[in-house]
Amino acid sequence: MMNEFDRILDECVDRINRGEDLGTCLADYPEYAQQLQPLLQVMLETKDAYPFEPSASGKRTSRQRFNTAFEALARTREEKRPLFPWVFGWSRAWVAVAVVLLVALIGYFGLRPMFFPIGPSPQPSPEGNFVFLISDDVNAISDFQSLSISISKIGLQAEGETSQWIEFAPEVEVVNLTLLQGDKAQEIWRGDVPEGQYIKVFIYVSNVSGILEETGRSISVKLPSNKLQISKPFSVTSGSVVNFVYDVTIVEAGKSGQYILKPQVGESGADRSFEKIDG
Amino acid sequence: MSANPDNDKTGTRKLNEAKLTSLYEEYYDKIARYVYTHIGDKNEAENIAGEVFLKALESLKSYRERGIPMQAWLFRIAHNLVVDHLRKVAKRKTVSIDTVEIASDIDPVTAAEKSMEIERLTKAMDQLTQQQREVLRLRFFGELTSKETGSILRKSDGAVREMQRTAIEKLRKLLVAEQ
Repeated sequence: MMNEFDRILDECVDRINRGEDLGTCLADYPEYAQQLQPLLQVMLETKDAYPFEPSASGKRTSRQRFNTAFEALARTREEKRPLFPWVFGWSRAWVAVAVVLLVALIGYFGLRPMFFPIGPSPQPSPEGNFVFLISDDVNAISDFQSLSISISKIGLQAEGETSQWIEFAPEVEVVNLTLLQGDKAQEIWRGDVPEGQYIKVFIYVSNVSGILEETGRSISVKLPSNKLQISKPFSVTSGSVVNFVYDVTIVEAGKSGQYILKPQVGESGADRSFEKIDG
Repeated sequence: MSANPDNDKTGTRKLNEAKLTSLYEEYYDKIARYVYTHIGDKNEAENIAGEVFLKALESLKSYRERGIPMQAWLFRIAHNLVVDHLRKVAKRKTVSIDTVEIASDIDPVTAAEKSMEIERLTKAMDQLTQQQREVLRLRFFGELTSKETGSILRKSDGAVREMQRTAIEKLRKLLVAEQ
């Protein structure tokens, strides 16, 4: 008998969760209505006591972060996939594999411009039409006394048939992210880039060095990849200066005590407002 | 039997990734609400809800559908992150009912009444057992079914239904006694 009541109560809880009202459920079980009503009323009171509708912007930001992580995962998997998996099944063919790899490496570097055209490196200039800044979206940054990242290269991919990349070294190579929280951003390069539409941006992070606030000890920080690439279209037009904010964020990976540095697409772009900080 | 186990693995991985992505829209809000009832901080609840999906993506390899639906698995992750968060916060400050946020756009009298209602309910909830509280959180805010709740708490759905009834009855008695 109690099992039957438990089942009906359970069904009504499900139905209320799906948006039905209390009366409809009671009407379906008139023989239990008197017992059900006060219990379901408690359920409604409990739900009412914690009214919380997550913000659309928070959800969107989280979704973007999820999509970025998803893309990074797919990229990492792609990078790890052997070019010729069947070759690795032949244990006696390792020498041949080494030769193939060597030839492939030579071929890659020799033919790289054909597959991944790289334009001439733009030169820094104080009056340049393009400013590249780094910022930090607040996540686990408060766990750090300092968190310095070394950026050895910046790349922009132009839109069009050639999808040409332009790459340049930043003028400021090391930035401390603890000083760049929220809207704060530090300029690391200014110069002239060709006018046009750009679709992707990457930074190449060569080193990350973090010191934890709580222990004062240095901690190793993981990167999904040294090359942190985002798809964030923008255009460079004549007579205007583009300020591109590249946002990175540090997050703690569950309870592992490990931290991951990753790009924050939602907070990056040429349309972001920022407060400029001198390094 | 499949000729190539690698293809099977890739297929399962892709299926799980697609499933996780499809669950985002439906479960982000529910997870955020569930987390909020634990920590009483809306911003942090949203951050943790987002973190749940990142964590799930990282650990997808270890997810095996052995009787536990993926949405229930997400709540397990959420629970672990809540525990971590509370441990971290406990080092800095004490979380009390006062931290539960009340919308700032309501008038002071309504706000005071709301605050008292939350306090009354939280006091009553505190007198339930930990498992009873978790059943109500998962059922009312996570909106999981009894079966899914059971897979998280490692109990049968019948046991969850019984625990749900006794928890609500006890809560009702406590709330009536408070009035």
